[in-house]
Amino acid sequence: MNSRSRYVWAYFMIAPTLIGTLVFWGWPVLQSILLGFQQSENFGLVNHWVGFANYEKLFRDVEFWQNLRNTLYYVALFVPVTLMLSTIFAVLLNTKIKGLSIYRVIFFLPQVTMPAAAAMVWVVLFAQDFGLINHILGTRVAWLSNPNYAMFVLVIVGLWGAIGLNMLLILAGLQGIPKSLYEAADIDGAQRFNKFRYITIPMLTPTLFFTSIILLIGATQIFDSIFLIIGKTNVALPSVRSLVYAYYQNSFVYFNPNYGAAIINVLLLINLVLTGIQFAFQKKWVVYD
Amino acid sequence: MAKRNKFSFMFAVVFIVLALVTAACSSNSNNTVNNGSKNNAEGATDKPQKNVTLTYSIWDKIQQPAMEAIAKEFTAENPNIKIKVEVIPWGDYWTKMSAAAPAGTLPDVFWMHGGQFVKYATGNFLEPITSKVQAGEIDLNNYAADLATIYTLNGENYGVPKDFDTIGLAYNKELFDQANIPYPDDTWDYAKLAEVAKQLSQPEKGIYGFGAKLDTQTGYWNDMLANGGSILSADLSKSGYDDPASIEALKARYQMILDGASPTHQQMTDTEATEMFKSGRLAMIFDGSWRISDIDASEIIKGKWDWAKLPTGKSKRGNIINGLGNVMSAKGKNKEESWLFLKFLGSQKAAEITAEMGAAIPAFNGTQDAWLTSRPHLNLKVFTEQVADAIPYPSGSKSYPVWFAKEPEIMSQAWGGAITVEDAAKKVAEMMNQAIAETK
Repeated sequence: MNSRSRYVWAYFMIAPTLIGTLVFWGWPVLQSILLGFQQSENFGLVNHWVGFANYEKLFRDVEFWQNLRNTLYYVALFVPVTLMLSTIFAVLLNTKIKGLSIYRVIFFLPQVTMPAAAAMVWVVLFAQDFGLINHILGTRVAWLSNPNYAMFVLVIVGLWGAIGLNMLLILAGLQGIPKSLYEAADIDGAQRFNKFRYITIPMLTPTLFFTSIILLIGATQIFDSIFLIIGKTNVALPSVRSLVYAYYQNSFVYFNPNYGAAIINVLLLINLVLTGIQFAFQKKWVVYD
Repeated sequence: MAKRNKFSFMFAVVFIVLALVTAACSSNSNNTVNNGSKNNAEGATDKPQKNVTLTYSIWDKIQQPAMEAIAKEFTAENPNIKIKVEVIPWGDYWTKMSAAAPAGTLPDVFWMHGGQFVKYATGNFLEPITSKVQAGEIDLNNYAADLATIYTLNGENYGVPKDFDTIGLAYNKELFDQANIPYPDDTWDYAKLAEVAKQLSQPEKGIYGFGAKLDTQTGYWNDMLANGGSILSADLSKSGYDDPASIEALKARYQMILDGASPTHQQMTDTEATEMFKSGRLAMIFDGSWRISDIDASEIIKGKWDWAKLPTGKSKRGNIINGLGNVMSAKGKNKEESWLFLKFLGSQKAAEITAEMGAAIPAFNGTQDAWLTSRPHLNLKVFTEQVADAIPYPSGSKSYPVWFAKEPEIMSQAWGGAITVEDAAKKVAEMMNQAIAETK
């Protein structure tokens, strides 16, 4: 087979995924980018070209900068803690203890729970008057409407939802580490911590790199917990409102899809830059054996 | 080898998870797509018998039984036309409609709100019924209080009035009896309301005199009007929120929270004020006539509550009348059948079913009496009597959907104590004026 027909075959084999990606991701992204430079009327059936007007308005909008700060703050809290806890749980669950699969199922359950249903439960747990959390702590903190605490609630809910999947990914990474490395270390008389530090962590870095990219991109798109747990008439909303929430509000509630598109395009750019930085730095810490 | 193992395992896990997730998602969306296309297919392919299923979208779950009863009656008269009543909650209704309109997938017949009407009518998404009106198929004079004019634009008629609603003061008789305070009546003013609310409050027991909720139509709009303020200027060109009389009314309402006469904004966000009233923890609340059957369904306060007129303010008794309309999509596949159903929805028969089931105050003249007696244990005539005090719901402009969506975000900052009521009101006014200017 010559190399050309090999390429044809390769594209043929990936065609289902490629076409799906182009139709359901590529096309909407392109549409979003175009929308950001337009002014739409009559539910988007009429579009005028307005250049950078939406972006000029956006960069003068105090609320946008606040939303950007909120989003980055959430990412800064959520991503490192999720990575750390997922790794710890994965290591703990990578041992031979009784009922291992039960634990794994329990940690993974949030992943298959309906976000809306889970959010309702969280709202009840964090409620000021009759909430279980205030009851246990013996406090009367307005967790959901105090601008100082609302973000932490979102991070906790986010952690609860994210640890399961990431733990599983890291667990897979752990199980891919060859036993021979540990056996060699045993012969050399290495201690448990040293084995973790000098074998497990380095061998896990490709997985950690992968999960951190996925996590970061996911975290910048926080929306549903703000929408479901905080809500639009909450006094704490301005201190947790994310870019995607603002995008939703502008596009679907204020009927201004162009301004919404401008917001989401800025986020796209931010994600491209952040992922680019991560790839640039991977040489410094990711070990490929 | 080791590397390949690691990666193949990891990616196997990732793909299995993603496959599960996408399978879960896509099976959901497939269902809805299938349902949609099935309906269309039935309409399109079964031409000989012309068996069609029309979708009738509404936003009020409480009225679903009555709407289904009307649909059943209609199908009995027209056996080949089946109606699927679809409830989309108010919070999602216009989001869905605004996506469906440009896609040409609006429901065959659906509820319209005065605030949204102009947008849909100017975009030609609604089927005009002017010719049917002129042909005498339907008489718009049959409907009370000029309700048909809400759904008229540039001389074209689009909507058949369904019902109207006004606001009343619901009170818990038991809590009044316990405190030995006479029930609210026509003579009450806002000072009396605030005074009694304070007397009835027992915050340590979680019982409050009044639900001073952050709400427009069933909340402070009535206060603002009663105090001589306004929501919008008469020509809809300027916000009334920064009118000193409006601000004074807003402050007075917020003061009730500060006085402990009302639950806090957060408490009323955790549990809707109407739900608190239904569980006997609120002595008084403003609410709309559309909530009657919902409140009356509460076992806790059953037989222990009633309605009074809203209190009078410095200038008058405030109230807001709004009328819903039924409209049909301009792009429906079965417009003839849709018109038959729309006409039936506007008939005396449909109005009588609405009235008897106590779903809403029917717009059809002469059927309101049946509604008044639908719940003899309640003083329902406050709603029809207050029509005289009421101003029309301040919609009817293209800017309404924009400012109405932004208003609660700003006002909630005041209700939550982050900014002063006066600042919030001025911010709302500024925002409204800007929205009006931008949509001119």
